[in-house]
Amino acid sequence: MAAPLELSCWGGGWGLPSVHSESLVVMAYAKFSGAPLKVNVIDNTWRGSRGDVPILTTEDNIVSQPAKILNFLRKQKYNADYELSARQGADTLAYIALLEEKLLPAVLHTFWVENDNYFTVTKPWFASRIPFPLSLILPGRMSKGALNRILLTRGEPPLYHLQEVEAQIYRDAKECLNLLSHRLGTSQFFFGDMPSTLDAYVFGFLAPLYKVRFPKVQLQEHLKQLSNLCRFCDDILNSYFRHSLGGISPAGQETVDANLQKLTQLVNKESNLIEKMDDNLRQSPQLPPRKLPTLKLTPAEEESNSLQRLSP
Amino acid sequence: MCNLPIKVVCRANAEYMSPSGKVPFIHVGNQVVSELGPIVQFVKAKGHSLSDGLDEVQKAEMKAYMELVNNMLLTAELYLQWCDEATVGEITHARYGSPYPWPLNHILAYQKQWEVRRKMKAIGWGKKTLDQVLEDVDQCCQALSQRLGTQPYFFNKQPTELDALVFGHLYTILTTQLTSDELSEKVKNYSNLLAFCRRIEQHYFEDRGKGSSSIRLS
Repeated sequence: MAAPLELSCWGGGWGLPSVHSESLVVMAYAKFSGAPLKVNVIDNTWRGSRGDVPILTTEDNIVSQPAKILNFLRKQKYNADYELSARQGADTLAYIALLEEKLLPAVLHTFWVENDNYFTVTKPWFASRIPFPLSLILPGRMSKGALNRILLTRGEPPLYHLQEVEAQIYRDAKECLNLLSHRLGTSQFFFGDMPSTLDAYVFGFLAPLYKVRFPKVQLQEHLKQLSNLCRFCDDILNSYFRHSLGGISPAGQETVDANLQKLTQLVNKESNLIEKMDDNLRQSPQLPPRKLPTLKLTPAEEESNSLQRLSP
Repeated sequence: MCNLPIKVVCRANAEYMSPSGKVPFIHVGNQVVSELGPIVQFVKAKGHSLSDGLDEVQKAEMKAYMELVNNMLLTAELYLQWCDEATVGEITHARYGSPYPWPLNHILAYQKQWEVRRKMKAIGWGKKTLDQVLEDVDQCCQALSQRLGTQPYFFNKQPTELDALVFGHLYTILTTQLTSDELSEKVKNYSNLLAFCRRIEQHYFEDRGKGSSSIRLS
C-alpha cells in the first residue's frame, strides 16, 4: 500500500491534533490501525462549510465523511477491529449511534450555538484559519447548520424553539456520558487492551469537549467528574499523539511554534531592556567608561556619543 | 409486555393532539404522555418496568441499541416513505392525506414531505441514494441479529423496551405494502429476527384474540 494517503482536516489547538470532532475520529483511527496518513491542515473552506471535512485523498479516490473514510481504510487492510467478535462489532454500531443521537447535539450546542462560547472561542478560532473574506461568512454558516441540526432532530414541529430543547439535550448528553463511563469501567479501552473504532469515535467526540477552554462549561464540568473518561482521553493523547505534537503533524507544530514565538518575543524584549539598562549604567559618570574599539575620540566625546546613541 | 390494559384509537389529528407533535401518545386519566421514552418513564413511575433486572452496563447497552434502531431504522423508514419518489407518489401522499377533504390532503402531505426532507438534509441523509439507505438498514439488521443470537429476547429470558422497539419497527417493515419489497427482503435475510417477531406477535397479540393485527407475517 505505497499510495500516499492524505487527510485534509481542520487544525489543532489546546493540545489536540485537531479541534474538529470528525477529523479527530479519523486521525485516531489511523493511528490505531497503523495507517500512514499525511495530515494536511486546510483552509480550503467551501468544502469545510458543506461538511465535507475531513477528506481523504489518495491517487485515485477522494473520500469524505468519517464512516466512509474508515470503511475505505479497512478495505486497504488498515483494520483496527480485527480482533473484535461479531457481537462487539454490533455493540460498536450501537454505541456510535448513541454518541450521535445523544452527545452530538449538546457538543454542537456548546461549540456553535451557545453565544458566549461561540463568540469568544469558536468563531475567532475558525475565522483565524479561514482566509478573508470567507472568514466573515463561513463560521456563521457553520453555526446556523449546527442550530438547524439540533432543532430539526430534537425540536417540535411546526414551531422550533431552542429553549425547550436546550435543557433536554444537555440532560441527554450527561446521561450519555454516564453510560459511557459505566461501559468503560476500569479497562483501558472499550474492548480490552487494543483500541478500536469505538475508541476512535469516543475520543473524537470527547477530546474537544475535554480540552477546549470555554466560558460556559456545564458539560465540560460533568465530563471532568467522570475520571475514567478523562483518563481515557489523556491516555490516547499521550500514547498516540505525543510524538506527533512535537514532530510530524503540522497542526501540533503550529501551536508549539506559536507559543514558542510568543515566548521568544517576550524574552527578546526583556533582554533588550536589560541590555539598555546595562549600557546606561555603564555609561553613567560613576562608572569608568567602557573601552570602545577603534576609537580616535577622546574619552569625554566618547561618553557623550554613546549617551546620545542610547537615548530613545 | 407489561400486562397493562390499553385501548387503541385511531385519530386523524393525532399528531396535533400530542403534546410534542409526535405519535404515539397515551391518555391516562387527565395526563397525556407522548413518545416511547417518556411513556416508558411514566409507566415506570407507576410501578411497571421491564428493565429493572439489568445492571448498569446492560442498561447502557440497551440504550445504545435503542438509539441505533432510532438512528438507522426510523430514519430509513422516513426516507423511504417521504424521499423516494415512487413510494411518495403512489402510497404516502394518498395515505397521509386520506382523512382530509381536498385540497387539505395535498397541502398537508406536501408540508410533511417538506419537513421530512429538511430533517434528512440536516443530518446528512439528503444526498443518500436508495441503495445506500438499504445498505445501512442491512448493517443495522445484521448488528441486531448478531446481538440477538439464539436467545429468545435481547436480554435473554425477559423482554425489555428494546424488544418492544425492535418489534415495532421490524413488524411495520415486514407487513407494510410498498412499491418494492427490498426493505422487507433485507430484514427477511435474518432468520432469527423473523422468528423473534413471530414469537412476540404470537405471544402478546394473538393470545388476546385481538382482530386488529389481521396481517400475518408470511
